Amino acid sequence: MASLPKPSPTAGLFLGLIITIAAVVAYSWYITRQISTLRELQNNLVEHNRRDSLRLLRVQNDLNSLGLAMRDMLDNDEPYPLIAWQAQFQRIRTDLNSALQVEDQFSMAKRAPEQSLYLQESLAQFWDAVDRTFATARDGKEAEARTQIRLTLQARQATLSTTVSRLLVQNNENEQQAAAQVRAIYDRVQRQVYTFLTATLLAILLTSLYLIRWNRRLFAQLGDLSQQRSDLAQKLISSQESTLRSISRELHDEFGQILTAIGSLLTRSANHLPEGSPLRADLGEVRDIAQTTLDKVRSLSQALHPVMLDETGLESTLDWYIPTVEKQTGIDISYLKSGAPFAVDGNSAVHIYRVLQEALNNVARHSGARQAQVRLNFLAESLELEIEDHGKGNDGSASRNGIGLVGMRERAELLKGTIEFKRPPQGGTLVTLKVPREGYQQNGE
Amino acid sequence: MNRRSFLVGVAALASNPLLRIADAYQSPPPSASSPGFRLVDVTSPAGIHFRHNSGAYGGKLLPETLGSGCAFLDYDGDGWQDILLINGMAWPNHKQAPTPMRLYRNNRDGTFTDVTQRAGLDLEMYGMGVAVGDYNNDGFPDILVTCVGQNRLFKNTGKGTFIDVTRTSGLAGRTGFSTSALWFDYDRDGFLDLFVCNYVKWSAEHDVFCSLDGKQKTYCTPEAYRGETCWLFHNRGNGTFEDATAASGIFDTSSKSLGVALLDYEHDGWPDLLVANDTQPNKLYRNLHNGTFKDVGVEAGIAFSAEGKARAGMGVDVADFDNSGSAGIAITNFDNEMIGLYRPARKGTYNDVAIQAGVGLPSQNTLGFGCAFLDADLDGSVDLVVANGHIDETVRNIRGNVGYAQPPQLFLNNGQGKFRELGQAVGEGFNQAKVGRGLAYADFDLDGDLDLLMTTNNGPAYLYRNDQLAGNHSIRFTLVGTQSNRDAIGARVRIEYDGSSQSRLVKSGSSYLSQSELPVTFGLGKRDKIARVVIEWPNGRIEDYKDLAAGQAYRCTEAKGIVPLARF
Repeated sequence: MASLPKPSPTAGLFLGLIITIAAVVAYSWYITRQISTLRELQNNLVEHNRRDSLRLLRVQNDLNSLGLAMRDMLDNDEPYPLIAWQAQFQRIRTDLNSALQVEDQFSMAKRAPEQSLYLQESLAQFWDAVDRTFATARDGKEAEARTQIRLTLQARQATLSTTVSRLLVQNNENEQQAAAQVRAIYDRVQRQVYTFLTATLLAILLTSLYLIRWNRRLFAQLGDLSQQRSDLAQKLISSQESTLRSISRELHDEFGQILTAIGSLLTRSANHLPEGSPLRADLGEVRDIAQTTLDKVRSLSQALHPVMLDETGLESTLDWYIPTVEKQTGIDISYLKSGAPFAVDGNSAVHIYRVLQEALNNVARHSGARQAQVRLNFLAESLELEIEDHGKGNDGSASRNGIGLVGMRERAELLKGTIEFKRPPQGGTLVTLKVPREGYQQNGE
Repeated sequence: MNRRSFLVGVAALASNPLLRIADAYQSPPPSASSPGFRLVDVTSPAGIHFRHNSGAYGGKLLPETLGSGCAFLDYDGDGWQDILLINGMAWPNHKQAPTPMRLYRNNRDGTFTDVTQRAGLDLEMYGMGVAVGDYNNDGFPDILVTCVGQNRLFKNTGKGTFIDVTRTSGLAGRTGFSTSALWFDYDRDGFLDLFVCNYVKWSAEHDVFCSLDGKQKTYCTPEAYRGETCWLFHNRGNGTFEDATAASGIFDTSSKSLGVALLDYEHDGWPDLLVANDTQPNKLYRNLHNGTFKDVGVEAGIAFSAEGKARAGMGVDVADFDNSGSAGIAITNFDNEMIGLYRPARKGTYNDVAIQAGVGLPSQNTLGFGCAFLDADLDGSVDLVVANGHIDETVRNIRGNVGYAQPPQLFLNNGQGKFRELGQAVGEGFNQAKVGRGLAYADFDLDGDLDLLMTTNNGPAYLYRNDQLAGNHSIRFTLVGTQSNRDAIGARVRIEYDGSSQSRLVKSGSSYLSQSELPVTFGLGKRDKIARVVIEWPNGRIEDYKDLAAGQAYRCTEAKGIVPLARF
């Protein structure tokens, strides 16, 4: 008998579940935190920087427009005085101031105050020079104004353009730093994801191995228990059969001979008495009682273990048994045989006989049927016994029919065969016992 | 036109010249899927046989791909709209047969007669656009043709002829690459002034080599050229003009202007200007009432796209498309830029609602030029028509989903702020892919609905007759100024009925290189009359007339009253 597992796996499984849930919760918290950090970084740095760059590009565009306007002014191919450009300059100035104002809000957090101051001062100087140039142009001094544009305005515009370009480069560097930070966070998260996945897989693997091991052990124990039960049943049945056979033989051989001898003695004693004497009549009665007792003993012996099974075999026993049941129960039983009969050893024959006995008992006791069929089929590889009635029916569940069906199954197992309980289309029960040749041969051996 | 009516038309043309017109003008039967009207290509039966000459010889000179425009005008004052089609010409050293512009007189029976020579317009020039206006208030519309080179002003003699007054009017001596133009009275002195868009500083000698593959020359985008200021010419009232470009604050050498529209975006009664610029911010010139303008395009939200990018503005039109009383704006742009559809928001600002309104996505892969708001189905809400066509014949090689020839689009307004593109449903001829440029509308057959005129680059012009199938009514007004300019350009007409109202502006310009008729048309659905019409004349005078019947045209003369014209 296999020993039961000492510790229960439940505690281990609970521990694994708790560890897994804790890992998922911890990892979720970690990921949420990292995403939040990323969002914050992108909002505060990347997006901020992008917007700032857009403003700077707008400023740069305005400065370029100023440069192009100054070039047009110097080309002198328009039929308009220089003062005509003042509205164009004013438009650009408005847009430039607006762009710088917005840009300043975006850049305050990271730009050195001296940078902003330098930009403001450069711009103020530029517009001051522009105003002076247009004032000169308004006075009709076009040539002088053009000289101012060439010597002063263009130089200041170039300086401003360089300053803004520098800020754009700085923004670009900031963007690169931010991008590197974002990349680092992504890398870290990626690493953590791999670690977490590996740990989770490992935990799942260990838990699964643990479960498999426990399941295998449980199945082995179940198998052992089943085998033990089967062995026990086999021993029980064998013991029962042996006992019944012994009792049957005792009854048949011992009590049969004694009662036969008593009957012979009574007959001989009665013959010595005169005809019509009362004693002779009494002896005759006693002899009849002895004979009746002898019949009953023989009948009981047959019922406990038909001697015919050992002496003439299964087929002959059934030929005797089925009409007997018909007489005892009043059920009309049709008995059919098919196939080429072959010998069945005594041990196996008694199990097959018991199955038939139990099945017909069930028909008589539970089915309510008045007719039944028994078919004994000698097949090439097996022997098939079918008992069919069309009564109330029986699905073969042990709960309804008690120990009888269990015994039938056990006997079928002992024979290495199968037994099935089915409901025929007409209703009732069809019990089919199929015993392979090697089954009863082995059993016989 | 379906196949059956086409065959009937062909048979009629072949068999009996007298039946020719009637058969060709048969309306196709209405179908269940019809949007309530059809645009029938009547170009050939109407006698319009015009082909634009871009002068292209393989040199890929920039102006070749941009022309040309068209106009509806009543040059003989008979109340029927005539047609003017602007043409280019061969480049120097690449001589071809002369290809002058064409003037077609309306025969009042659905056909036109080419009167170019008789009218004295049989002249060759590299024409781009046209603006029609009675600048001398003599009752006959005069013509400004914008050109590559010298623009030309033709004065209408009133006797069916024109004379070139470019020199005597003071417009001579200014050459450029002019595109769209319009007449308007910006100082409200009763005389029409002239606004001319210029594209870029360009000359054949300094044409820049641009290429998509590094080998074949292609047409350049405007980034390759320096901008050019638009021009404003003030009408002195004596038949001459003075250059007011610098004095008015319009001067801007960064502009690359292709389209211009008249509007009164502040409702102050003074005309403002909206200029569509190609790759430069659009300009909204606010009239400061003192002869000067201030660009408020950035503040108004129309200078850049929502992404802050200056788009390639081509054509532009302005109309009260949501019947709110305030004018919205449509600006056609390059492919991949969508049409800009601006709805007035808080005072003086606009929101681009192209995507929400259903105009954005259908125009994602089209390059729009001419555009016009008009109530095509006469349901009481103005719809939007767009002439499409790319500038580069090889664009398909670069962008597989964008073609050189592109179908025009008709966005039908459902009256609730949504437009649905139904170009396919209004006529096979209309939906045919073409290299569209100019676009104008007028009721040339005086049946109460608006017909379309479309030009194509280096190709034919198309006349589409509008055939109403749903039985909607309309009402039309022709305005005649007395104290105001005679064309009443700048006048605002508002009609009221059943608690609703619609408004139109009498305007020159709009679209692309083109001009539509000056009379205004209101669709009324099934209504038989309107409760009131209110006219705000350009000089500020307001008049109103009540209980006017639909299905009728009216002439309103400033301070003199209203007279009914033809019924339709």
